[in-house]
Amino acid sequence: MRQTYGKQLPGMRLTDLPGKLIVIEGTDGAGRSTQIDLLKPWLEELGHAVLDTGMTRSRLAGDGIRRAKEHNNLGRVTQSLFYATDFIDRLEKEIVPALRAGFIVLTDRYIYSLMARAIVRGMDPSWIRSIFSVALKPDAVFYLRIGIEQLLPRVVFSRGFDYLESGMDLFPGQDIYEGFCSYQATLLAEFDRLAEEYKFEIVDASADAPAVCDHLKKKILEIIDPIRAQAPQPKLPDPLIESLADKIVAKLTSGNKEAELRAANPFPLAPPTFRIPRFGGNGSAPV
Amino acid sequence: MGISNSIHVGPYEIFYPLKPSVSSVQQYGQHNLPGRLFVVEGIDGSGKSTQLSLLHKWLEARGYGVVFSEWNSSPLVKDTTKLGKKKKLLTPATFSLVHATDFADRTEHSILPFLKAGAIVLCDRYIYTAFARDAARGMDGDWVRDLYGFAVKPTAAFYFRVPLETAIGRLVGARDGFKYYEAGMDLGLTIDAEDSFRLFQGRIVEEYEKMIPEFGLTVIDATMPVEAQQAQVRQIVQSHLADARELRVKR
Repeated sequence: MRQTYGKQLPGMRLTDLPGKLIVIEGTDGAGRSTQIDLLKPWLEELGHAVLDTGMTRSRLAGDGIRRAKEHNNLGRVTQSLFYATDFIDRLEKEIVPALRAGFIVLTDRYIYSLMARAIVRGMDPSWIRSIFSVALKPDAVFYLRIGIEQLLPRVVFSRGFDYLESGMDLFPGQDIYEGFCSYQATLLAEFDRLAEEYKFEIVDASADAPAVCDHLKKKILEIIDPIRAQAPQPKLPDPLIESLADKIVAKLTSGNKEAELRAANPFPLAPPTFRIPRFGGNGSAPV
Repeated sequence: MGISNSIHVGPYEIFYPLKPSVSSVQQYGQHNLPGRLFVVEGIDGSGKSTQLSLLHKWLEARGYGVVFSEWNSSPLVKDTTKLGKKKKLLTPATFSLVHATDFADRTEHSILPFLKAGAIVLCDRYIYTAFARDAARGMDGDWVRDLYGFAVKPTAAFYFRVPLETAIGRLVGARDGFKYYEAGMDLGLTIDAEDSFRLFQGRIVEEYEKMIPEFGLTVIDATMPVEAQQAQVRQIVQSHLADARELRVKR
């Protein structure tokens, strides 16, 4: 049976949710969507059905939030609640039905980003926690952590400064660069605090994307397929061992014994054969 | 956030933004803003809007600066609510949240700034509408009360109490009949709109009755003649304006 962070929504049955809920968290520019783009096809390749979801993608509130943001006229409380509306709509209409159907749900941000954003905007932490107490506890939260020094070039030289990502609603007196640094550093501090409270799995996101992805894959395997992840790694014969084995076989088949055999039977029907034990890809016994 | 409001993150010194004024308004605590906030509550057909509009005209005639804010009217959120209702996308939870978002926008843009400026703000429906409707839809009462924790406590909240059958009698044939969500049709209680309205509004009346002592709502007998109700409302409002002469707009 699944758990929530406290309260339960009417009509949301918490039993029979066999899927897995995997959260990718991190500040803006930490590489969350890049990782999800890599993880989704990998999981599908393994035979899992995957739902990926993220902020402002709800049918109900996505467009409304985008329109409201265009006017830079969203109050802080309104902003927090608009995002909560978007989240709950996706929780009820996408995430829970997918978990019920046995999907792996990969979500780009979860309640933690929404809480961090609200808290740095001065919202009462207990207020925002109460609202999100109806959220499901995920199976894992991977926090892609990146320092502000590494974050800056990624954002500035790719897509430029965004009004809200630079906290311009909070620091209107600063220029957008200073605003970005102040806002992202404040967010980072809040994320670090949440990481401790909610026991995030911290992933160093300053490494290159494939390395981060390999790490994530290993961790995700532990969740979705604990038996495989715990089993000894299947050893595929590597070229060196193979060549050594060939030499040993050659040595055994040659040498004195061969001469004796040849003397006894100069025209053998078939040369003696040897098989190198090979382990199947699924770690089962040698064939 | 401690005594100091700045923190150090690497080479950066960060100042936490000051808490917005809405959060500093303690939950249901008495606000000490210069304005006054009067709200009307009651089921559809209780006559509360008629009473509020009469109060509005009276206050204006007496020279007060008056601002009116209606439930579910935020220009930023309206389209989302409309979409949700039209396409029947709303669940009890999202119904609750979309209305809270609407209310938040009105609090931040239409209610709080005017109270600070010393206006008399009149609201047709307030947080009690949300508490009653959301509870009738099965939402947790404490959760919904927390959700509206940013709301300013009204100077006075009038509850127009009316028997269900009287309200239905006033609605039948009037306006555009019984609407889907107003009649609680989303709960699937019954397929007949009038029956569903009766069941759903019955639940709402129960919730209102529970809130009278909880929030100190002022009960007005909405079966009395319009004039008699208005006289009561004006008398109570008047008592809250005795020391508020500065609210009048000099002409």
